[in-house]
Amino acid sequence: MFDDLKSVMLRVLRLGALLVLGITVVGSGIGFLVAGVPGVLAALAGGAAAFVFTALTALSLLLGSKLGLAGFLGVVLGGWLVKMVLFLVLFGVLNRADWLTFDSRPVVFFTVVAAVLGGLVLDTLIVTKARLAPAVKSS
Amino acid sequence: MQIIQLAAEAVTQVSQVSGNLGVLGYGLAAIGPGIGVGLVVSKTIESIARQPELAARLQVTMWLGIAFTEALALIGLATPFIFAA
Repeated sequence: MFDDLKSVMLRVLRLGALLVLGITVVGSGIGFLVAGVPGVLAALAGGAAAFVFTALTALSLLLGSKLGLAGFLGVVLGGWLVKMVLFLVLFGVLNRADWLTFDSRPVVFFTVVAAVLGGLVLDTLIVTKARLAPAVKSS
Repeated sequence: MQIIQLAAEAVTQVSQVSGNLGVLGYGLAAIGPGIGVGLVVSKTIESIARQPELAARLQVTMWLGIAFTEALALIGLATPFIFAA
């Protein structure tokens, strides 16, 4: 059996969630040592933001693959646009949050970076391992 | 000579820019990945037009390209948390 786009994306979502969960737990521990309880909250916020950001792309591909080429591109690119606006607002609000103390601010950044880079490694591994169908001559 | 005077004037004007420079950071974080994702998608459309039978593989490859490009956007959007005064 060959993998299709759907099974690859589902695997990405499942394993990606586990990876971000692990990184958030480690980040929370480091955040607690650096900044106390606000550090833990910062790591949780960073992990959640990074997961939603990367998962939305996979979800948009999953939904878009059911449509034709134009629909696929519309859903993927439109989803990307909406996501960028969403994150501008989210990070703008988070940037002004009172509970985010000065020491805990870098925890958000490093959790996001670790989760995104880890996610990229995972994505690449999944795509290289996936058994995609070879080209079939269309009549 | 006039060009040098204009340049000097421009420098003094830029040094007087006030307000939140983070806005510029947000803008720059959107430009690069915007161009990058556009290139990835345009090349994928080209490839699918040439070889429609490869569409499924190309879509997965396109997703990997988009994932790498948008990582830059997310890191750029998160920088206020370490650079803000």
